[in-house]
Amino acid sequence: MGPRPAVVSWIDHHRRAASHSAQRLLAEPVQSLFTCLAVGIALALPAALWALLQNAEIIAGNIQTTARFTLLMEQDVDIEGARLIGETLEIRDEIERIEVIDRRDALVRFAEDIGLFELVDNLDSNPLPHSLQLHPIAALTPADLDDLAHVLAGVKGIEQVVFDTQWQTRLQAAIAAFQRLTAGLGVLMVLGAVLILGNTIRLGIEARREEITVIKLIGGGDGFARRPLLYAGLWSGAAGGFFGAILVALLFWFLAAPVDRLFDLYDFDSRLSGLGWSGALALTALGGLTGLVSAWSTAFIHLQRIQPR
Amino acid sequence: MINFERVSKRFEHHDALRDVSLDIAAGEMVFLTGHSGAGKSTMLRLLMLLDRPTSGRLVVNGDDVATIRGRRIARYRQDFGIVFQDHQLLFDRSIFDNVALPLEIAGFHPRDIGRRVRAALDKVGLLGRESANPIVLSGGEQQRVGIARAVVARPKILVADEPTGNLDPRLSAEIMALFEAFHRVGVTVVVASHDLALISRLRHRIITLKEGRLIGGVGP
Repeated sequence: MGPRPAVVSWIDHHRRAASHSAQRLLAEPVQSLFTCLAVGIALALPAALWALLQNAEIIAGNIQTTARFTLLMEQDVDIEGARLIGETLEIRDEIERIEVIDRRDALVRFAEDIGLFELVDNLDSNPLPHSLQLHPIAALTPADLDDLAHVLAGVKGIEQVVFDTQWQTRLQAAIAAFQRLTAGLGVLMVLGAVLILGNTIRLGIEARREEITVIKLIGGGDGFARRPLLYAGLWSGAAGGFFGAILVALLFWFLAAPVDRLFDLYDFDSRLSGLGWSGALALTALGGLTGLVSAWSTAFIHLQRIQPR
Repeated sequence: MINFERVSKRFEHHDALRDVSLDIAAGEMVFLTGHSGAGKSTMLRLLMLLDRPTSGRLVVNGDDVATIRGRRIARYRQDFGIVFQDHQLLFDRSIFDNVALPLEIAGFHPRDIGRRVRAALDKVGLLGRESANPIVLSGGEQQRVGIARAVVARPKILVADEPTGNLDPRLSAEIMALFEAFHRVGVTVVVASHDLALISRLRHRIITLKEGRLIGGVGP
């Protein structure tokens, strides 16, 4: 029997290169572990930032859905007038519902909030106006909310619109900045991982210089010499990504108690969530891809230099 | 099979080959001889495409080697079996894996690889040692592993560069006998050697080089 069809032997060599390079990595467990850990740490940092960002976005979304306006009526608007203004406004698309709050109820609520019933009882007159609680629909952006606030301020009979959009805008801006930071750090750290792996692969090429020379002398092409290196990169990178996912999980486990307490204090109805299984899988795949890119470029540069003499 | 047509090779400060014309027929066995620096190794290097002629034409198996570039070089080298003076064995793997390497490159089925490797090791008298590391072998045995690796894929041309350089006369004669055995089954064999005493006893053409020139081709 002679050589088999090129595709069959190509697949077969891939299979063997894959298992041989895994065996080589396992044959030097300490060195491989350090490489994978270095890659893992490099990938864990942007992954952790990304996961925190996801949490921040969920919180921001949460706040937006609970956003509401308080519209204070002018003193001479009576309860019927307030109700009428409310019904007129409720027609608008961006408004979900409106509650009318009687100035007497408002005073009772105020007294309850501050716990000073006697003081409130002793007031000669009720200083509070009638008011409307306006709940906008959830789909509005901070900019939409700002626009709405301006429109409401112009409605006749409304004295004051109470709605602080500024801190929401700030939160959005902070999230946007944080996104940039994550993306930037992500690129840098992945580049770092590429270099770490590239250096390891380069050392591997140097250690196998003799083998590569012999392979080229007896008719093996660059592809044949490169294949085990590509798999070494793939395995180290994927293992690094997996380590990274474990590191992020440990970090979030470490963070969970205080952050959840913080959420409780702000009445946020959510828990700190980490990468999850799909995130861990994605990080492992990203690590593998990083390793592959690194091995490919390193092999491209260094394999050509090794020529039989 | 191998035609050198007025081939010259000039390195920076000297002419390694000058105007060499030579035909080696398919199935022929020839010896290249001459002092070190006479141009034997340069001829083999040109043949293996490790260097290119400065002028002239080298035609191997009907192909002008000047047209063989890039990826085709690897494929071209698969037609050769090469034996090196320093064996070029890999000590990170077994004798079996060393001999199997050309078959893996050529894409043989693992089952065929096993069969062929054992047949090649049998020919060189090392069957039964296949799982050992070549580092435990003597110089002569290592050379025989090198020969097994060179012939395992049944190349058309067997090239050996000073294959007996480090061996005593008895082992050298054994190695040459192996080359003759491959020649008898139709392989073209080119052996560079300065061991005139040994090669003149064997009845094959001897091509002598001196300072890069061909000075004689003695027939058998």
